[in-house]
Amino acid sequence: MSSKKKGNAKAARLRNNIIVHTVLAILAAIWVFPVLWVVMTSFRAEKGSYVSNFIPQSFTLDNYIRLFTDTTLLNFPQMFMNTLIIAIFSCILSSFYVLSASYCLSRVRFRMRKPFMNMAMILGLFPGFMSMIAVYFILKAVGLTEGNLIRLALILCYSGGAALSFQIAKGFFDTTPYAIDEAAIIDGCTRWKIFTRITLPLSKPIVIYTILTAFISPWVDFIFAKVICRANADQYTIAIGLWRMLEKEYIDNWYTSFAAGAVLISIPIAILFLKLQKYYVDGMAGAVKG
Amino acid sequence: MKHRHLFRFLLLITVIALAFSGCGSSGESGSQKESVRLMVWSPSEDQNQSTGQWLQTCCQNFAELHPEWDITFVYGVADEATAATTVSQDPQASADVFMFANDNLTVMTDANALAKLGGRYADEVIATNSPELIDSVTLDGYLYGVPFTTNTWYMYYDKSVFSEEDVKSLDAMLEKGVVSFPFTNSWYLPAFYFGNGCTLFGDGTQEELGADFGGDNAVEVTEYLIGLAQHPNFRIDADGSGMAGLHDGSIKAIFTGSWDAASIKEILGDNMGVAALPTYNLNGEEKQMYAYAGSKAIGVNPYSKNMVAAVELAVYLGSKDAQLLHYQLRNVIPCNTELLADPEIASDALVAAQNDTFNRTSKLQPFVPSMNNCWTPVENMGKGIRNGSITLENAAEQTRAMNDTMNSDGI
Repeated sequence: MSSKKKGNAKAARLRNNIIVHTVLAILAAIWVFPVLWVVMTSFRAEKGSYVSNFIPQSFTLDNYIRLFTDTTLLNFPQMFMNTLIIAIFSCILSSFYVLSASYCLSRVRFRMRKPFMNMAMILGLFPGFMSMIAVYFILKAVGLTEGNLIRLALILCYSGGAALSFQIAKGFFDTTPYAIDEAAIIDGCTRWKIFTRITLPLSKPIVIYTILTAFISPWVDFIFAKVICRANADQYTIAIGLWRMLEKEYIDNWYTSFAAGAVLISIPIAILFLKLQKYYVDGMAGAVKG
Repeated sequence: MKHRHLFRFLLLITVIALAFSGCGSSGESGSQKESVRLMVWSPSEDQNQSTGQWLQTCCQNFAELHPEWDITFVYGVADEATAATTVSQDPQASADVFMFANDNLTVMTDANALAKLGGRYADEVIATNSPELIDSVTLDGYLYGVPFTTNTWYMYYDKSVFSEEDVKSLDAMLEKGVVSFPFTNSWYLPAFYFGNGCTLFGDGTQEELGADFGGDNAVEVTEYLIGLAQHPNFRIDADGSGMAGLHDGSIKAIFTGSWDAASIKEILGDNMGVAALPTYNLNGEEKQMYAYAGSKAIGVNPYSKNMVAAVELAVYLGSKDAQLLHYQLRNVIPCNTELLADPEIASDALVAAQNDTFNRTSKLQPFVPSMNNCWTPVENMGKGIRNGSITLENAAEQTRAMNDTMNSDGI
């Protein structure tokens, strides 16, 4: 009797598991589908933007090779380096800004603290590209819109406003007990030492999270790069290059290379994510807890 | 204390002033030559080594023709379609000479980003181009650019399927093979409406007349299009499906422009045929399809510091020699009337088809501001027919609705 009941329960669990896993498999297939499609297109040997069959008839590596060898029309390696330089420097700068601002707002008490936080909140409600044209004219007045200085201009654009998005990191710092800071002060630590020797090592997850987001936003940005680069083709970032590959003059020849480029730019981000995934999840959880 | 603040403030002002003034020192001209700096923007193909560096070659030739100037050229990349937005964004920091598509003419004149050409320069341009082409870069009686090619679309077909007689009529073609047309693209679809007497802004410049796409003649066309979309030998070309069909052989004729010529040549080889637009049979009458036509032209920046040199260069880049080189290097179809008379060029099927289309089966694409309201309604008409929401029953009502939206100012 009891063994029969057990068998029933087992069967029911098996049935439920089958249903759940089928549903999950279907959902996963739907989510992965576009990614898979881009990857397959990047290896497709047939030219053109439209194909009538899902799986390419023949595969090739030429699309990737072409990105790096056919540089006269669209110089992909140069765009890749431009973007990498810009992303790395703005990542360093804006991570520093965000963490410093968050630390100050979390630990130091000063008169403008509350007004600043309110102001940052309100400014954060406006999309950044609203100020795009103004930013362009300011950069032009300072003389940063020509030649290699465009890179500097873009780095400034991406990192300049970073200190306004301190909320998540500040929430995390708030969770570290102030008693630790006090103990450090008694031992003769300065604020800077507390920040670098105590707070930062205790907040690895949020540091990682800040670095990740600070790297990704300049890496994938299109709109600022487009407005500031204008006709300076040697300063183009990847986003502009990929966009140009889809213009009507290029699309038939460059579409598969476009997919290859899309796969390539996702590699640095994917590596960062995979390496730092553990901290990333911790970082978000910490912020919610605070 | 106060003094120190004042001092710092003054220092700051000085630094900012220095930054603003930049290095604006002008070169001393010891010799007779006047030093001139010209910034030129063109599509990247024109500066590409693998396609012969048309721009650099022409600029060097220009410099040799003008020994009185010591010219430094600065090249930038901006293709004709997007140059207008880039230049209008900030004309003072843009190229002295650039290339633009004529449908952006009002965008640029509104931003004061295009210089008027006059005097002997205008005379020279007018003398070497057809009047239709001059109209395409003329606004309120002023000439705004030097045209160097026409910009329109026509028909590519497989010669082994269609004869030269067949390609004169769309219905004859549909009986013999599969034809694909960009049905949901509003740059192409109006061709049928123009064929039955519909007009946009009168002759294209009379903005007050508005769009006339809602009469009984337009309804007839909508009904024809519904039938066409269901024809077993007709395919709607969207997102490159026409080109893919040519590749795998399922489609035998498509409608597009010179930018796809090289790809089609690769697919069809010697079987590639090019022709102006065919007629279509509407209730027993043959009606001619009309494409939108425009031009690409060379413009001069009104803020240029070396106006004379800039205008001279623009005229040179649009001249017979430069157009010939452009054609030889990149297959850019010339529009200079003397060049078109050259038998060698005239015998090129592509040149013949494009010019035949421009002269015979096209309407100058209006560039009045209200034109901006005309794109989406036509596109929606094509999409409605494709997905079956526009049927023979509601064709009249939907056509009038399209016309109302084209004539309204809102979104």
